[in-house]
Amino acid sequence: MGDLGTGFVVALQPINLLWGLAGVTLGTAVGVLPGIGPALTVALLLPVTYGLDPTAALIMFAGIYYGAMYGGSTTSILLNTPGESATIVTAIDGHQMARNGRAGAALATAAIGSFVAGTLATLALSVTAPVMVRMALAFGSAEYFALMLLAFVMVTTVLGGAGARLAGWVSLFLGLALGSIGIDGLSGQARFTLGVPYLLDGIDPVIVAIGLFAVGETLWVVSRGPDQDQVLPVRGSRWMTADEWRRSWKPWLRGTAIGFPMGALPAGGAELPTLISYAVEKRLAARPEQFGHGAIEAVAGPEAANNASAAGTLVPLLTLGLPTSATAAVLLAAFQQFGLQPGPLLFAHEPKLVWGLIASLYVGNVMLLVLNLPLVGLWVKLLSIPRPWLYGGILVMASLGAYSVHRSAGDLLLLAAIGAIGFGLRRINAPIAPVMIGLILGPAAEQHLRRTLAISQGDWSVFLTRPLAASLLGVAVAIVLLAVVRADRERRSAKLRRP
Amino acid sequence: MLLQRAAVLLLLTAIPLDAQSTLTIVAPAAPGGGWDQTARVMQRVLAELEPGTNVQVDNVPGAAGTIGLARFVQSERGNPDALLVTGLVMVSGVITNASPVSLSEATPIARLTGETEVIVVPAASPHRTLRDLVDAFTQDPGSVSWGGGSAGGTDDLLVRLLAEQLGLPASRVNYIAFSGGGAALAAVLGGQVTAAVSGYGEFAGQIAARQLRPLAISAAERIPTIDAPTLRESGIALDLANWRAIVAPPGLSDAEHDALIARVTRMATSEGWKNTLAQNGWDDLFLAGAGFRQFLLAEQARVEAVLQRLSRADPTAPTPVALAITPATVPTLTMAVFGVLIASLIVSRVRSRVPVATQEAPGLNMAMMLGLALLLQPALMLTAGFIIASTVTFAVTATAWRGVRPAIATVARDAAVGGAFATIIYFVFTSGLGVSLPAFVLLSSFVVLP
Repeated sequence: MGDLGTGFVVALQPINLLWGLAGVTLGTAVGVLPGIGPALTVALLLPVTYGLDPTAALIMFAGIYYGAMYGGSTTSILLNTPGESATIVTAIDGHQMARNGRAGAALATAAIGSFVAGTLATLALSVTAPVMVRMALAFGSAEYFALMLLAFVMVTTVLGGAGARLAGWVSLFLGLALGSIGIDGLSGQARFTLGVPYLLDGIDPVIVAIGLFAVGETLWVVSRGPDQDQVLPVRGSRWMTADEWRRSWKPWLRGTAIGFPMGALPAGGAELPTLISYAVEKRLAARPEQFGHGAIEAVAGPEAANNASAAGTLVPLLTLGLPTSATAAVLLAAFQQFGLQPGPLLFAHEPKLVWGLIASLYVGNVMLLVLNLPLVGLWVKLLSIPRPWLYGGILVMASLGAYSVHRSAGDLLLLAAIGAIGFGLRRINAPIAPVMIGLILGPAAEQHLRRTLAISQGDWSVFLTRPLAASLLGVAVAIVLLAVVRADRERRSAKLRRP
Repeated sequence: MLLQRAAVLLLLTAIPLDAQSTLTIVAPAAPGGGWDQTARVMQRVLAELEPGTNVQVDNVPGAAGTIGLARFVQSERGNPDALLVTGLVMVSGVITNASPVSLSEATPIARLTGETEVIVVPAASPHRTLRDLVDAFTQDPGSVSWGGGSAGGTDDLLVRLLAEQLGLPASRVNYIAFSGGGAALAAVLGGQVTAAVSGYGEFAGQIAARQLRPLAISAAERIPTIDAPTLRESGIALDLANWRAIVAPPGLSDAEHDALIARVTRMATSEGWKNTLAQNGWDDLFLAGAGFRQFLLAEQARVEAVLQRLSRADPTAPTPVALAITPATVPTLTMAVFGVLIASLIVSRVRSRVPVATQEAPGLNMAMMLGLALLLQPALMLTAGFIIASTVTFAVTATAWRGVRPAIATVARDAAVGGAFATIIYFVFTSGLGVSLPAFVLLSSFVVLP
């Protein structure tokens, strides 16, 4: 705990408090605004934060991540359009509560639940991270390769839901293929550069993130035509009744218990834990028939789960350098921009930075509770920005961000191309996160594979004789087999239903 | 001579006037390595000497720095505020990897430091002395894995020269390349490799903490501050010193070139720089301008000759053990699987009569128009500048979102809002945050022509 104490000394410095406040405010804003999320925001900010102190910048980025989880619920409740993919579930009952005149209570249970879950999960992060660091030192190239393979498989099978299993793999391999373009980091050979010097340098993950999330999303929204959602005013009491408190606190704790471990697993972020939390609350509820018509448990549980999962994501990111969601993938790029490689050695070399970052999350949670409960009216005003201008602004910022990475107009062409690909992926119902994970982890996984085989002198059996690597690979294979079996069963039952 | 000095002096005094200028130092290796350390020390010393300058370090790791070199030569061409850290590793890496970009494309500025290489094993290793390690290596070369920087770099070169001295063919060396000494550190600490080779500074912290045992250094003579014998003392007739230097992008004017040399000279002769050299155990090998250019050419010739000799002495090349799968294997496999996936996606959707795209898209035409506009945006950005290009992007996006045949008044209003937004953003980012954006060409030509 001494480390965490040092962290608080760093996090409570006025300048870092200021950056943290900037982060959580910005995070809440992007959470509230549909169409922009934390991954995109961090990617856009990367080129302009080069000169910043790394601790300050990372505190701000983590604040954005946490803030977006809070802000997303406001939009889900008042607009019935999720502000974030992590708050899709919240929109179901949260919006119904708002229609029933309980918008205040829905916002309150979401904000307090987020605070409770965020704080407890950050506590869990502080406790588990040092343990993970000790374990991670035993990780060699074989284990890292096995772990990354597992991450690929899990993210893809989890996010490629029913009817889109193949599409999930298309996303993953798109990312892997993009990642293999450029000069090979081990041998120096140029690969898939087609003789174009621009490609020698590889495809920048920051530009891909901006292209997929900003341009792809805007094209997608435009293609569906204008929508006519109305922002519901916050009427009635802003506070929860005693009954609502009683119905909320258990879902908060259960949501935390579901969200934190699921966030730490390579399962692609907060969507899955929120869905599971919703299902669990529905099963345990005294009156499950209320679900879908404004049950407060259905807001409390998932909102706690998405905040807890954000903290959970930081465990593998900080201790192993393994991103498990799209936002974490961009955060990894942020660390690397500052010349920092997350992993066990980061805790040894940069204890002030790591623990300062973790401590700032406690502080950020308190700031976010204030920002999102008494000040929620301010954020509702953000929703009155006309949509055409919102998306126009997003694209202007996207091209600014992509251009300033290398001050290259060629990057803008790449941005448009990636945007078109992102649009295509949405059209075939394919998930986006596997592209980012594949792009960022793909080259690392390949290097670990080749290094493992170099150390073993070409003997593939190392993957079976090293127990940790073997069990990780075993889990990966089991997941693929399970997915194949399930897809097969689905296909058969679909055939049976067809006359 | 006097004139030259006066010019340099003038340039030096001109630098502080240029407040909020940004200098980018590219370290073409992963964090923690020698190039990264050099860049970060430069960053700190320059920040003290030039308070108005914002000095940034950009890590571009991989392939003995040739990835960083390729990016630097292309995207920084003509930029007088960018520097690239380089050294013997890159000279050797460019040749070994047959790199598509050569170091001679960059503008030489100065050689800065020299450093001895060190061979280390983890504290728990059974190899107590270099003799132990060399014996194991001679008996079964494949069983000893050597970790170090990129293939073809100084670390790799040292191991291959060592093998040559021991009468082993270079192809039997099991060398595991990492992108820089910092990345190799985790592997040797975790016992993933038998031994590691790197610049002394990269391992100094772990050697002092007794987590790593230094077996030998590559310097010609013993160094008082380092508790390890030289290779020669250990009976191997070999010495190799690593050097690090700094180059600028191609396409600089003579004045810009001289200004950079003056800046780097001022840094390399400062008190702060010399103190850090002593701390890190780096030798001061400062050599600027024409002298450095000649040195660079001589090194290229020397390394090329050594590398040729090593590959000649190696009849079994090119089948090094280290490449059980070639660099092309994984990418080719990936692309093949990707192709198969796309094909089977289309086939399965066609066969089950589900449209490939599963959602309704009433605004598809609008989305296509927007995509087209974005493809044309780079051209507009370069000719008309950021503000106009962004105004157009904003207005087109807004119009596309509305999805109906636009009324002139609506488009005008969108353009006005977009223009205001783009103007604010432009000034916030250029004047406020120091990001350079393409200016409005017409405006700047008006300003130039009175």
